[in-house]
Amino acid sequence: MARRSLLLSVLVVLLINHTAWAEEPQYGGNLNVGTVNVTLSPLSWDPADWTWKSNHDTGVVREQLISGDLEKSVRKGGEYPFIADAYLPTDSMRGELAESWGWENDLTLVIKLRQNVMFTAKPGVMKARHLVADDIVYSYDLINESPKRIPTYFDHIKRVYARDDHTVVFELSEYNAEWAYRFGYGYYSAISPREMEKVDRKDWRTVTGSGPFVLEKYVQANAHIYSKNDLYWDTEPLNGQQHRLPFVDKLIYRIIKDEATYLTALRTGQLDILEAIRWIAVDHLKESTPELNWNRWLATSGTFVSLRVDIKPFDDIRVRRALNLAINQQEIVDQFYGGHAELMAYPQHPGFGDYFEPLSEMPGSIQELFAYNPQKARELLDEAGVPEGFTFNMQVCSCSPSNMDLIPLLESYLRKVGINIVIQPMEYASFLSAMTTRTHSAGYLMNSGHVNPITTIRKSFVTKQTWNPSQFSDPAFDEQVRILHLTRDEKERVKILRQLTRTILEASPYIWLPIPYVHTAWWPWVKNYGGELRVGAVRPGPIYARIWIDQQMKKKMGFD
Amino acid sequence: MHTFIIRRILALLPTLIFTSIIVFASIRLIPGDVIDLMLAQNDISTGNDRAVIEAALGLDKPIYMQYFLWVGDILQGDLGRSLWQNTPVTEQLALTLPITFELGALALIVALSVAIPIGIYSAMKQDTMGDYIARSFSLLMLAIPSFWLGTLVMVFPSVWWRWAPPLQYTPFLEDPLANLAHMFVPAVLLGLSLSAVTMRMTRTMMLEVLRQDYIRTARAKGLQENIVVLRHALRNCMIPVVTLIGLQAPLLIGGAVILEQIFVVPGMGSLLLEAVFQRDYPVVTGVFLVVGVAILLINLVVDLTYGFLDPKVRH
Amino acid sequence: MSEMSAPYQQKSRFMAFHQRMAKSKPLGAFGGAVFALFLICGVFADLLAPYGLNETNMLERLQSPSFLHILGTDHLGRDVFSRILFGAQLSVIVGFMAAGLATVISIVLGVVTGYFGGRTDMLIQRFVDAWMTFPDLVLLIVVISIVGPGVTQIVVILGCLYGIAGSRIIRGSVIGIRENMYTHAAQSMGARTIHILWFHILPNVMPIVIVLFTTRVGAVILAEAGLSFLGLGVPPPAPTWGSMLSGTGRTYMYLGPWLALAPGICLTMVVYAINVYGDALRDLLDPRMRGS
Repeated sequence: MARRSLLLSVLVVLLINHTAWAEEPQYGGNLNVGTVNVTLSPLSWDPADWTWKSNHDTGVVREQLISGDLEKSVRKGGEYPFIADAYLPTDSMRGELAESWGWENDLTLVIKLRQNVMFTAKPGVMKARHLVADDIVYSYDLINESPKRIPTYFDHIKRVYARDDHTVVFELSEYNAEWAYRFGYGYYSAISPREMEKVDRKDWRTVTGSGPFVLEKYVQANAHIYSKNDLYWDTEPLNGQQHRLPFVDKLIYRIIKDEATYLTALRTGQLDILEAIRWIAVDHLKESTPELNWNRWLATSGTFVSLRVDIKPFDDIRVRRALNLAINQQEIVDQFYGGHAELMAYPQHPGFGDYFEPLSEMPGSIQELFAYNPQKARELLDEAGVPEGFTFNMQVCSCSPSNMDLIPLLESYLRKVGINIVIQPMEYASFLSAMTTRTHSAGYLMNSGHVNPITTIRKSFVTKQTWNPSQFSDPAFDEQVRILHLTRDEKERVKILRQLTRTILEASPYIWLPIPYVHTAWWPWVKNYGGELRVGAVRPGPIYARIWIDQQMKKKMGFD
Repeated sequence: MHTFIIRRILALLPTLIFTSIIVFASIRLIPGDVIDLMLAQNDISTGNDRAVIEAALGLDKPIYMQYFLWVGDILQGDLGRSLWQNTPVTEQLALTLPITFELGALALIVALSVAIPIGIYSAMKQDTMGDYIARSFSLLMLAIPSFWLGTLVMVFPSVWWRWAPPLQYTPFLEDPLANLAHMFVPAVLLGLSLSAVTMRMTRTMMLEVLRQDYIRTARAKGLQENIVVLRHALRNCMIPVVTLIGLQAPLLIGGAVILEQIFVVPGMGSLLLEAVFQRDYPVVTGVFLVVGVAILLINLVVDLTYGFLDPKVRH
Repeated sequence: MSEMSAPYQQKSRFMAFHQRMAKSKPLGAFGGAVFALFLICGVFADLLAPYGLNETNMLERLQSPSFLHILGTDHLGRDVFSRILFGAQLSVIVGFMAAGLATVISIVLGVVTGYFGGRTDMLIQRFVDAWMTFPDLVLLIVVISIVGPGVTQIVVILGCLYGIAGSRIIRGSVIGIRENMYTHAAQSMGARTIHILWFHILPNVMPIVIVLFTTRVGAVILAEAGLSFLGLGVPPPAPTWGSMLSGTGRTYMYLGPWLALAPGICLTMVVYAINVYGDALRDLLDPRMRGS
């Protein structure tokens, strides 16, 4: 099945490549996108606020040192789908603001900047000017000195300074395997001009950068409207020619809270691209709107029920394993998700290359967790001294329709082994703060991003991390994670991470649940695009810059 | 009449204070406060950083101090700034209030132009087939949840004819037609769902008035039926109907929250809902306050109209 | 009259009243019949439902209506007909409790303030004013995010919300009645206040109370549905019609249209029926209309 879809996608890629060659790209038109975060308004425009969504909202304006190389995308015959949450394999990286980089010694990273990068003019902020190394230093300080920073996040960096106008030096105090993610292409790596210091950075009108678009207008709960940056430096090779970017005049992120509404917006051509569609709607959309192009990808966040290991009876691993055995994960894959899901794809994502170890290669004691065995679950509960079962609270975010659908099913599985749950839906803020203040209930049904191979382990299973809802804590485990960060050899890191992943699966601080597939759909007039989602940490900017709109085709199809 | 008006306006003051205290306090009782939401962005939360942020937002002061500072600022026309966006709340209100007001006004027009004719017709043709059909229409509109009707109107035309109302907001002054095209469907749905209450009250009062002596007398005098209805009956049944319109102002905003959500109208409902979910205190309190004042004013007008329509109430 | 015959007599009066309604108000009588059916379904849901409330069966999921499942099955393989019946039960409980609470609050506040007026009236009216500045849905969202979603919370909040808001309407009509001729006459004859309230004011506001109560039962069912749409209704797996409609009904609209149709039609029909029934009751109960 997987092989066939691979073949199919290769075929599609060939076809798309073929048409890309045949057609001359056009400039102009508007691109309306329902992004993966179509339901969410921006949280903050200020890079110093450390919001996870910042790249999504400003990543078409603010650039970073490193991004993904779209010339290596699957669509262009390469091997990278550019779907992962916040992970660029070393070979898929490309200097964005950085022209090149190298290690002067073990702990000194030297970055050469591009010469031809311009910040756009912004009334009240600055006139247009070239990017210089000081801007990088400023941006780093701005983020690092924020009171909202993640403590220890930049501890590996001793000093950042400009050697000359186009050379930046990062002096490290210790090696960090995530250096490229932490301040190259990560969530908190945006480069802003020094002039930002004097203005109100929280105000969207001050958002300034060197990227392909300029933030022209923001209408709360409706749209971000970006217009073309005529000074943008990058070009796109098509038909053996370099084309200036971006192609479209306007890029519009639509904010639509309701699922029925954004599906309708896609169907009526009010959205050119809708990046995240649940499988439930796909068949019908394909039937009613056969012209759409599709790409299917495995969700980049895990779904699980966190069990607090600091609360009885979940301090007993037998109880936690029993709960995993009591859930029929295969049935969830086949029936609940209609086959559009993978049994085990968390904490590592199959898109993480070697870091991901398939379930079939794991030891039996882990495979067992994903097989339905209520009999053994009861035996384990017996052994753990809770043969009568028990009742516990399970909190769930009402903001997730999928989890709200899923939770009654979990309730009925657990009831069959004598365990009752009390379901507590909460709205987003209360739900999240219950976890960050560690006041959440024994059971906590949530989604957590895969991010990248190292972070997915560190943030969720290292002692006292905020996004560690099960309160898992094991000094030996923590020490391994520390060593992992210091390890330069990627093969060695793969080895350590595979072991850590096995350890955590085995320990079952969660009820592991299947990970669903998500679909991206776009109209055929959206050209030079193949459903890529991110070339950084939730940062689609360079992807949208390369899209062009076939306006004749759009008109011919009855849309204008 | 003058003293009546002055008395009414003075009576607003305690209400305002009462409202502001409740609004200000209630949002701060919610468990997830804004600092936690902001710190949730971070991988590790520490006590220190929390204190720094709290101080920066002024949340470190005792709650009554925060209240007095807030009131002091309001009296200077400053409703504070969004904790997330740092935009002045007054600016956000200036953007969203007119949108919701437009939606509400359009909806009210729809509601009244459906409700009053149906109400009068139903009363005059009581217990005929026409009465049943007209009333049933209005009541069915009330009975269908607005999110469901909204979804149907959104989805089915798009499946059948690939048509859907435009979902991109355009300011009225920029392009009035595009603006109305966007607002039209939600306004009609909101109006229809509100029409039943007014319709029923119009009908009830109309029936009552139609039976009263002076109408009978007027009829007996040989005045034409229509004139009787319009001149006497309508004026009398306007009292409860006017009250009802006043009562519907909060309903309009409540109903707008859901329809704004479905039809992507960036009005106050959207702003408020988002602010409540993000714990953006200044925005929530600001919107509450403005909605509160607006509704108080509407009720003031209602009370004054009472006095105008029915002189006995003045005393 | 013996004590034994009292309930019988009451019952027959109830029957006679509805016979009269069936003759003169067929629409209202139809509403009443639907309402009665709804009540019966709600009260006897446990006996009537062919399947359990949360009996999931993933192998039978998303089946269209058939002989075994007359309204089909949902995304977890639960029988929709059974859940509709249990949903009726929940709606009866929530609707009647909240509307009952609201009506009591409305009558007490409305009659007291409208009749006595003066300082008490002024004070209470200021409270009512302040209260009414909160848009319903926002107050619900705020309070429910403090106390958590649940049946009790929704009943109490909606009861207070509608009760206090409704008192304004009753007050308005009490003022009208107070000024009315025959109350003046009764007062001048030296009748006691309680007597006046009970025999002159209350019967006269009864039509409005009935209209209010019926509207409120419907409004509570609708409000719960609205809350479900925002994800703050009665938590799953409770089978409220609102959550069946706004949740799975809308999500699976394409794969299983029956999932939305059943709760949507039930909800709409019941709210509609309650309303026409209420209107008919009002027409028949109004003392001033009896003679004409």
